[in-house]
Amino acid sequence: MTTDADIIRRSRESPQAFTELYDKYARMIHRYAARRAGESAAEDVMAETFLVAFERRDSFDQARNDARPWLFGIATNLLRKHHRTEAKMLKVLAKSSGRDSYADSTDRIAERLDAAVAASAMAGALRALSAADRECILLFAWAELSYEGIAEATKVPIGTVRSRLNRARRILKDAAGPFRNDTEEAEHGRAQATA
Amino acid sequence: MDELKLLREMRNDIPIVKDSVIDSGRHQLLHRIAPGGVKKSKRRPRKALRITLMTTATLGLVTALVGGNVIGLAGWRGAASAEAAEVLNNAASMSIKTVDPVVGPGQYLKIDSTNLWMSTYGVQDASGSVGSNTTVEWLDTEKMSFYVPADRDQEWVWDRSGRVPTTFFSAQAKETALEQAKDIGDTSEHLRAANGAFYGSPSTFPTEKELAGYSRDPRMLLNGIYLKTLGAGQSLDGEALVWIADLLRTGLVPADLRAALYQAAALIPGVSVTDNQATLDGQSGVAIGRVEGASNIRQDVIIDPATGQLIGERQVALEAMGSVPAGATIGWTTIRTTVVNSLP
Repeated sequence: MTTDADIIRRSRESPQAFTELYDKYARMIHRYAARRAGESAAEDVMAETFLVAFERRDSFDQARNDARPWLFGIATNLLRKHHRTEAKMLKVLAKSSGRDSYADSTDRIAERLDAAVAASAMAGALRALSAADRECILLFAWAELSYEGIAEATKVPIGTVRSRLNRARRILKDAAGPFRNDTEEAEHGRAQATA
Repeated sequence: MDELKLLREMRNDIPIVKDSVIDSGRHQLLHRIAPGGVKKSKRRPRKALRITLMTTATLGLVTALVGGNVIGLAGWRGAASAEAAEVLNNAASMSIKTVDPVVGPGQYLKIDSTNLWMSTYGVQDASGSVGSNTTVEWLDTEKMSFYVPADRDQEWVWDRSGRVPTTFFSAQAKETALEQAKDIGDTSEHLRAANGAFYGSPSTFPTEKELAGYSRDPRMLLNGIYLKTLGAGQSLDGEALVWIADLLRTGLVPADLRAALYQAAALIPGVSVTDNQATLDGQSGVAIGRVEGASNIRQDVIIDPATGQLIGERQVALEAMGSVPAGATIGWTTIRTTVVNSLP
């Protein structure tokens, strides 16, 4: 079976081989970027990710067979240029329930239990996260990278990934409170996690 | 349902990426792999048109200037046309006589602006084949209001309408623009920030200290502008005029500096009266401008000759660009300043 490392190795001799990596992962990168910053930004991020990857193909660690953490790492960097678009989008999403965020009466939110409201609460919580924590949790939930993969993508030790994920999940959990099946949790007053 | 499941469901409804997008990215990659091997694909400008390339001629000149440690650039290479200089110098003397509205303690300078920006978007043409992309163009309008407190350290407010597509250069442009606008949704914002540090970034507005620091002597002011903009834009003189237009449209420029900026513009080679009856957003004035040879785009500054007030500035395409016909205005800003007693 051809691994990503094989493709990249071959591309050193015959650069055209690098397009195999593009064909394999372009859509995945596009989807992730589109979820984070919209389709317009995603188009740029996707194309640019592979241009950067191609230029830096010598830096790919041949011991790793899977190129996804490496590619998502590049995409994550490029997405930082679109942080305003992302922030705007989250803001719009957070507002879409007609209320600023989850920092409202639990009873009223519970009455309007639906996907849009849940998405709005999640968006509100994502806004409250630091950029590093947000990148981390989204690489986990949307890019489906493992802890190791995120560590590789964001070039931080795995312990840092763990603590970032914990912190992010705690804030998201607070925001998700009213939508969780665990009603006892939901009734409980919690410290607001807004930044 | 736990928080991860909720998060995974969020924005899960992203449409499948179009093949044209995948093809375009692949094309760019192939071009990078073998620059000569594939037809050169033009990277499409997406946002408002930004000109960052310098012509070889400018590069040469800049190198010579820096190398030769030449600092006094203004004056010896010519100046604006006599007619333009007259309009600008008259506007300058009118400005000097103008008393700027005084922003008292607790009051705000309110700067209302209407801004039109061009969007260019790559779309696949009717043949649908790979690499057969074309572009569509339209203008977005954004209305903004800034409230600048008398004490700049206090809270500022910035109301933005968000970009709304308003002028379409083709039917396809209209379709694309409206589709995009729908995707992006309402982007209006009401921002508040002490010291004008919106979006958590330091204010991009000129500080009072900075404004006070600019020379009121037109020649020295222009020399300073040349040094500031050296290497930017497509030409030295073009960038100097753009810099002046950018500063004027902040609405924060005091009358004496406004006068000096007009006089400095009168010293820029290639500047001429481009339209005696220019109308922008319902206000008429005289347009003073300069054609950028490399791009064939003209930068105009529009002044009310009776008062010396700035009406606005605009960019005009002198040749067709994609769906934009020659002579079309591809961007403009008008400003109006008033003093108000409170924030919205």
